[in-house]
Amino acid sequence: MSIMEYNGAAVVAMVGKNCVAIASDTRLGQQAMTIDTNFQKVFPVTDKTMIGMAGLATDVLTLRDRFRYKVNMYKLKEERTIEPQTFAHMVSAALYEKRFGPYFIEPVIAGMDKRNQPFICSMDTIGCINFAKDFVVAGNAGGGLYGMCESLWEPDLEPEDLFETISQALLNAVDRNALSGWGAVVHIITPDQVITRQLKSRMLDWADPTVKDKAVRYTRL
Amino acid sequence: MLSEIVAQYTSEPTGYGAELTPGNFLARDAAKQFDSLSFDLPNAENPIDFLNTYTDVKSDNDNLIKLAHGTTTLAFKYAGGVVVAVDSRATQGSVIASQSVKKVIEINPYLLGTMAGGAADCFFWERELGRRCRLYELRNKERISVAAASKLLANMVYSYKGMGLSMGTMVSGWDKTGPNLFYVDNDGTRLKGNLFSVGSGATFAYGVLDTGYDHEMNKADAIDLGKRSIYHATHRDAYSGGYVRIYHINKEGWEFISLTDVDELHWQYADESRNRGA
Amino acid sequence: MSDRYSFSLTTFSPSGKLLQIEHALNAVGQGVTSVGIKASNGAVIATEKKSTSPLVDTSTLEKISMICSSVGLVYSGMGPDARVLVNKGRKSAQAYRRVYNEDPPVSILVKEIASVMQEFTQSGGVRPFGVSLLVAGFDDKGPSLYQVDPSGSYFAWKATAIGKNMINSKTFLEKRFNEEMELEDAVHTAILTLKEGFEGQMTEDTIEIGIIGGGSPPTTATGEPLPFAFKKLTPSEIKDYLSNIA
Repeated sequence: MSIMEYNGAAVVAMVGKNCVAIASDTRLGQQAMTIDTNFQKVFPVTDKTMIGMAGLATDVLTLRDRFRYKVNMYKLKEERTIEPQTFAHMVSAALYEKRFGPYFIEPVIAGMDKRNQPFICSMDTIGCINFAKDFVVAGNAGGGLYGMCESLWEPDLEPEDLFETISQALLNAVDRNALSGWGAVVHIITPDQVITRQLKSRMLDWADPTVKDKAVRYTRL
Repeated sequence: MLSEIVAQYTSEPTGYGAELTPGNFLARDAAKQFDSLSFDLPNAENPIDFLNTYTDVKSDNDNLIKLAHGTTTLAFKYAGGVVVAVDSRATQGSVIASQSVKKVIEINPYLLGTMAGGAADCFFWERELGRRCRLYELRNKERISVAAASKLLANMVYSYKGMGLSMGTMVSGWDKTGPNLFYVDNDGTRLKGNLFSVGSGATFAYGVLDTGYDHEMNKADAIDLGKRSIYHATHRDAYSGGYVRIYHINKEGWEFISLTDVDELHWQYADESRNRGA
Repeated sequence: MSDRYSFSLTTFSPSGKLLQIEHALNAVGQGVTSVGIKASNGAVIATEKKSTSPLVDTSTLEKISMICSSVGLVYSGMGPDARVLVNKGRKSAQAYRRVYNEDPPVSILVKEIASVMQEFTQSGGVRPFGVSLLVAGFDDKGPSLYQVDPSGSYFAWKATAIGKNMINSKTFLEKRFNEEMELEDAVHTAILTLKEGFEGQMTEDTIEIGIIGGGSPPTTATGEPLPFAFKKLTPSEIKDYLSNIA
């Protein structure tokens, strides 16, 4: 059993026209057993940048806190908000610090920079950055996500179309993966707002009051 | 000359390796139809060791041949007969290979077998069981009891013990004595019982099943209990999912009840809980 | 165990002063004058290059140093002390680059250097730096000019001077400076400021000038804007400026 598959996750980010999207499933498992169906894996970094992490859940939480600390310190020291590119390098440096005892997570970063150009990238567990102009994926459904993205993604999608594309890519990928799914969250980042939507996938937690009536029901392809 | 001598002392091969032709059909010894089947074995000094090197269901080694496993199946007896309920997911590692597997095997109109563990092993041996049950019926002019049928199966897999068969099954049916339910697995274990659940999701199914079980419940409630148990197992167990397939057995034999997407059940149960004000 | 008693030399006097820091400022006051001007589109720093003997090969003397491509500095005071700060500043800039893959903003680098200088006013077994610095740079917020003193305090200036002739130079700058001044003008003004009270002949070999900014920013091959880079004027470039003045 790989430690990267202990909790299960699927994260994906895509570039659109004057927007980016980042999405993840919401399952938290202990190997085969599903513990939580509303576990967040994507976190805001600034108003226009988000980070998603796939891998060992305890490291996801630890790094969420560490990155928040680092970004807050950056903001205080430099009196400016961090750019997605700069944040990516910061994450990379933080991960490589633990080269010989890594955090078991693969990050995905998406944001709009100061010139409102879309930015996405992914990384391996020790911080090797993969800059992409189309889409990046991470997690157990990674292979399936690549397949979905390769076939669904096209350049210059408007925010609503990008939402549809990333949602379908994620939903259909996790439906072929036993360790991820059970609900999904999609964030669309535009120059002036972040639109967050819950997706009703197989087994979304209907008992959760934050989910109940807000989720968007999607018919799979 | 030599071939004549060889032929004189050699008996006709039995089992699946043998070609059935009009020529040898009459010469076939019906009694031998109950013999163990013959399989090609690996050409190694110790075929069992050889096999264990390359196939192992429980091992984490990715190089080994993995047999399909990860399932929730259940069956229970109650006043009105037997309910058999199974999921329909097949996985290879974490990849969902299929969401529409049929894990109930209709052995004959009065006998059902369930599938957990290696799909091929379950399917093959339960088909073989069906063949033997039919032969029993022809010879004895009456149906085989569930006890006898399950014993046939247990004896068959026991003869291959240690060779890597993977099978956890429930044989259920209706015979002279009424509803019957047996658990049989590849170790040769054979248990008679009122309620069983087998597979990676079994613990979750047991939780629901044990809580809701009542021997005197009616058919509709029994079916609903089976459905809920499988659904809850698919909710918690990553290796179970797809559809809930339900069968019911009474003195008329088995009857297929329903095939329901667990996702539909999910929202149906969600509405119920909301109406209850949960 | 004798180090137990080696207290910092910067101990408060009964009157509440840190005399060592004041002495360090005196050392700066005896140092060669340096001036700095922030123009509307860049910044310039300049200084005299004094040699004790005509036999010294002045082309090897360097008082203006690049810290990273977006920042340069000049000192007045003790050369060897300044070199320590230049080294620390360069290291700090590279450490920043190592993490963020971009040059540090000027203010960050100034704070970094200033905190080193402050540390040397409060640690045991050390003395304060005998230098003041003028730091010129260009970042997202535009051009900037800072002064850092031995105490570790730092100030942002539109134009200023440090060293022996700082009073007169500042008075001169107050008269000459205006907000609309562009880099070319600022270089001229800096030279003129240095000329006030300049001992001996001012030539391309006896002054040093560093600039950043001016004109349109450099771009990549694909037209992406790049940050301005700090550069030192070559003797022939300085000669051109001098001939324009004369």
